[in-house]
Amino acid sequence: MRRIRSEERTAYLAILPVGLLLACFVYYPAISTFLMGLTDANPRVQGLEGSAHFIGLRNYGQMLGSGEFWASVWRTVLIVLMVLPLELAIGLAAAMILNEQFRGRAVLRTIAIVPWMLPPLVNGFTWSWILNGDYGALNGLLYQLHLVTTYHHWLASPSAQLFWVAVAQVWTRFPFAMVVLLAALQSIPQDVVEAARVDGARPAQIFRSVTFPMLLPAFTVALAVEFIVTFQIFDVIWSLTAGGAAGQVINPFTKAVMILNYEVVFRNLDLGLGSALAYLILVLSMGVGYVFVRMLYERGA
Amino acid sequence: MSGAREMTPARLVRRLGFWLAAIALALWSLAPVYWIVVSSISTRIELYSVPYKHWIPRAPTLQNYVDVFTTGPKYRAGGFLPSATLLYSGVRNSLLVALLAAACLSLLASLAGYFRGRSFLFFMMLLLVPLPVWVSLIALFQLMSVLGLIDTRLGLILLFVSYGAPLYVWLMQTYIRATPRDIEEAALIDGASRFRALRTVVLPVALPGLVSVFLVAFLTVWNAFLIPLIFTNSEAAQPLTVVLSLFIGQYEVAWEAMSAAAVVTMIPPILMALFFQHYVVRGLALGAVQ
Repeated sequence: MRRIRSEERTAYLAILPVGLLLACFVYYPAISTFLMGLTDANPRVQGLEGSAHFIGLRNYGQMLGSGEFWASVWRTVLIVLMVLPLELAIGLAAAMILNEQFRGRAVLRTIAIVPWMLPPLVNGFTWSWILNGDYGALNGLLYQLHLVTTYHHWLASPSAQLFWVAVAQVWTRFPFAMVVLLAALQSIPQDVVEAARVDGARPAQIFRSVTFPMLLPAFTVALAVEFIVTFQIFDVIWSLTAGGAAGQVINPFTKAVMILNYEVVFRNLDLGLGSALAYLILVLSMGVGYVFVRMLYERGA
Repeated sequence: MSGAREMTPARLVRRLGFWLAAIALALWSLAPVYWIVVSSISTRIELYSVPYKHWIPRAPTLQNYVDVFTTGPKYRAGGFLPSATLLYSGVRNSLLVALLAAACLSLLASLAGYFRGRSFLFFMMLLLVPLPVWVSLIALFQLMSVLGLIDTRLGLILLFVSYGAPLYVWLMQTYIRATPRDIEEAALIDGASRFRALRTVVLPVALPGLVSVFLVAFLTVWNAFLIPLIFTNSEAAQPLTVVLSLFIGQYEVAWEAMSAAAVVTMIPPILMALFFQHYVVRGLALGAVQ
């Protein structure tokens, strides 16, 4: 009996530091931020000493009724719609290449993982230099291959900016899809594939009716994770198209929800509205993520 | 590719297609990194030549690295924030914060992961996992101001540890659960305390997990941008990612210097991909699908 007591105490002792940190820096601020979302807190209006007033759900109403909010949701959805199919397609192709036995496989695997390891902020910067209209590598390459006759400003139009943000994000994240799908590919029993081959099925047929169905759970996992990651995209946009330098106006054409959130809170100092927006983003991204997970469980995976 | 069989034309085409795809994958993954590295060792004259054709620099130089570590103001936005030591302090801050946060997380994760499921607190932590930092950002900023932790490395470490803890405790716990229970029981019967059993019996077996937690935590903190962007504002604590974002000038960017700074930022992640790929990929993938 005494033994159990002391064990219990050691257990609490071991978890205590983590618990304290979480209570202090995660729980308390999260609840407090939520409550602030129910007020009109804005140091610009009330001054630093002034106090905010409780206004119920009015911030949420204002956000849901604002064109700016829905425009940024739409931009984010566009980015997600470009990123997910491209990323999963490239990830699948890469996984299928690495699933073969060939010389240099380990090297190729390492090379393909590098973009995922790098800071997303640096990746955004890298692509902005590649796409640079005056001296960028893409212009240089296409010119040398005689595919263009003059240098282009690749980031000139709003839709082009969204497209290249998606490309940079795909470049950053495709190794994740690759790793998840490769693990799934390698867990497919070889005798099933072999049996189909003996029965005279062609590679394309085998892929469609044997390999692909067995990959579906992994696809759903990758989709759910990447939806949440891409919906909350911030770093890549910041260094690729947002403008960057302190005090500079944030580029409106690539203002995804997280960038809008940053602007509302740290540029406009609209703390009440910003808190409400943060929770709206959470509900939106987790809500859709939850739908993916439900799909996954309903398939019995 | 099983190459021993006879080469029919169809097999030849398939094989050619495979190698083309493999080369395309290598180019797509590596070309952007290659371009940054080339930019960082090119002279400005070569790099800014139009049309560009110096894919292999004719006169490679390390001058950009020297410049970026010594004459900072030349490359700053309009030169209005003179600081020759900006990059140097960025390296120092990034290293210190990432190393210390990863060490703290490893320690806390092994402790808490070991005693998993034994208390109410643990369930609360699991509940918390999906909460990202930005839903508490505003109140957190006020809290950090009151505590005097804005723009300090200690503040950053506390934040990274707090927001990383649920994930790494969970990760560590999946490794510890894989260790054989009976060895541990034997040690306990022999009179070892729980902490002693953890240190001498469980941890050695769960060591790969611990390495994985440490490396993934280091990489995540090293790569982080949003938290340091908001909670730092001077050389005292700004890590490399934030320093790099300051290099993007309002009117122009010195790309050769920027590239040198970017390569410096890329070194630890690339080393991890080269030497610790197994640990990092497993940890990252597990953490993401949790």
